[in-house]
Amino acid sequence: MLLPERGSRLSCQRLKNWIEERYDFEGIKRLAAQKVIPVHRYEIWYYTGGIAMFLFILQFITGMVLSMYYIPHLEHAHKSIIEIVTKLNMGWFFRSVHHWGAQLAIIFVFIHVFSTLLLKAYRKPRELTWVTGFVLLVISIFFGLSGYLLLWDERAFAAVRVATGGAGNLPLVGGFIKAFLRGGIDVTGETLTRFYAFHVAILPIITIFLIGIHLMLVQMQGMSVPVSIEKKPHKTTPFFPNMLYKDLMVWLVMLGIMVSLAVFFPPEIGKKADTLAPPPENIKPEWYFLFLFQTLKLFPGEILGMNGETIAIVLISLGVLFFFLIPFFDRKSSRGEPSPVFTWIGIIYTLYFVVMTVIGFLT
Amino acid sequence: MKKFFLSIALVLLNCISLFAEDKIEVFPSVRYEQFIVYQNLVIFWIAIIGLIIIIRMKLREIERIQKMGINKEEKDIPLLD
Repeated sequence: MLLPERGSRLSCQRLKNWIEERYDFEGIKRLAAQKVIPVHRYEIWYYTGGIAMFLFILQFITGMVLSMYYIPHLEHAHKSIIEIVTKLNMGWFFRSVHHWGAQLAIIFVFIHVFSTLLLKAYRKPRELTWVTGFVLLVISIFFGLSGYLLLWDERAFAAVRVATGGAGNLPLVGGFIKAFLRGGIDVTGETLTRFYAFHVAILPIITIFLIGIHLMLVQMQGMSVPVSIEKKPHKTTPFFPNMLYKDLMVWLVMLGIMVSLAVFFPPEIGKKADTLAPPPENIKPEWYFLFLFQTLKLFPGEILGMNGETIAIVLISLGVLFFFLIPFFDRKSSRGEPSPVFTWIGIIYTLYFVVMTVIGFLT
Repeated sequence: MKKFFLSIALVLLNCISLFAEDKIEVFPSVRYEQFIVYQNLVIFWIAIIGLIIIIRMKLREIERIQKMGINKEEKDIPLLD
C-alpha cells in the first residue's frame, strides 16, 4: 500500500506527465526565460503599463460583483445603487473600490501614454503598440463616462448630456455620434441602456482584445530603450522572475492605496436624475475631461460668424489626431536619431494637459 | 407659558432635520462597524508590507544565485541514469 504522501506525489507526477505529453510547456518556459528587461535610469516607467493592466483586472472583478445587483433601468438604476451601498454586505466597499480603481486606472493609462511619448517608445518598429495603447486610453475614458452615467444622479446626467452634446458639435459626423451615443435626441433611459451595454459588454471585449494585441507586440518586440541610451551598453535583467517579483510588489502597494482611498473617500451619490430639471449649479465634468472643458472656455461664442464651440471641437480633434499620428511624423526617432522638436511637442502636450486639468479643478 | 414656548422651540428644532437635504450614507454609520473597517484596513496594510518583505527576500536570494551563475543549466552534464 502506498503512503498518502507518496501517492499524492505520484498522482501529481502523472498529471504533470499528462499535461507535458499534450502541451509544450517546456517551450513556453524556455521562451519566458529568454525574456529580458533593459536596466537604465528610466526603467521606472516600465511599471506604469503593468499597473494599468493590474487595475483593469481589478476593475473587471469588482465590476462583475456590482453587475449582479445593478438594474439598468431608468426607474431602478439609482435605487439599485443605493441598495448596493446601504443594504448589501460590503456593497459600499465594492462600489468605492470600483470607483477609485477607475480613477487610478485612467491616471496610470495617461502616465503610461505620456511617458511613452516623452521617451519616444512609439518609434519604429513599435508604431502599432502605440496605436493599440492610444485606443486603450480612449476606451478607458469612455469606460469612465459610461460608468458615470450608470449612477443616474443629476450630476452624472448633466455631465453626460454635456459630453455627448460636445461630440455633437463635430462637423459632418457629430450628429451621428451624438445620436448613436444617446440612442435618441436627448439623454434618456435609452442612453442608460446603451451605456450599460457599452460598459459591461462592448468595451470589455474590445479592451481584452486590444490588451492581448498590445501585450503580444511587447513580447515580440521587447521593451523599448530611449534613443539616448540605446547605443550605449546597458545591462538587462530577466523578466521571470526578477521583473515579475518587482511588479508584484508595486501592484501590492497600488492595491493598498486603492483600498485606502475607497475606505477614506467613498464616492457620494447625488439626487436621482430628473430629465426635465435644469442642471445643478457649478457642474463640472470628470477630471479627465477638464482639459477639454477648460479649452472650450477659452473660445468665444462666435468666431468670424461661425459657432465658436464647433471651431474649438474641430481644433481639439485635430490636436488629438496629431497626437495619435506622432509615430508616423517623427521620422528622426525612427532612424534612431534625437528629435528635439518632438520632445518639445511631447512636453507641450503633457504640460497643457496637466495645467488645464489643474486649472479646471481649482476654478 | 415659558414651558409652552420652550416645547414649541424644541419641536421646531427637531423639524429642521426634515428640511435638510437627504444624504445617502456611503460608509457604515455605526461607530462599531467603522472601527472594524479601520481595523481591517490596518491588518490589510500589515499583510501587504509582510508580503512585500517576503517577495523582496526571495528576489534578493534569486539575484544572489544569478550573480553566482549557478542558476544556468550546464551543457554536457553527465546523467546518472
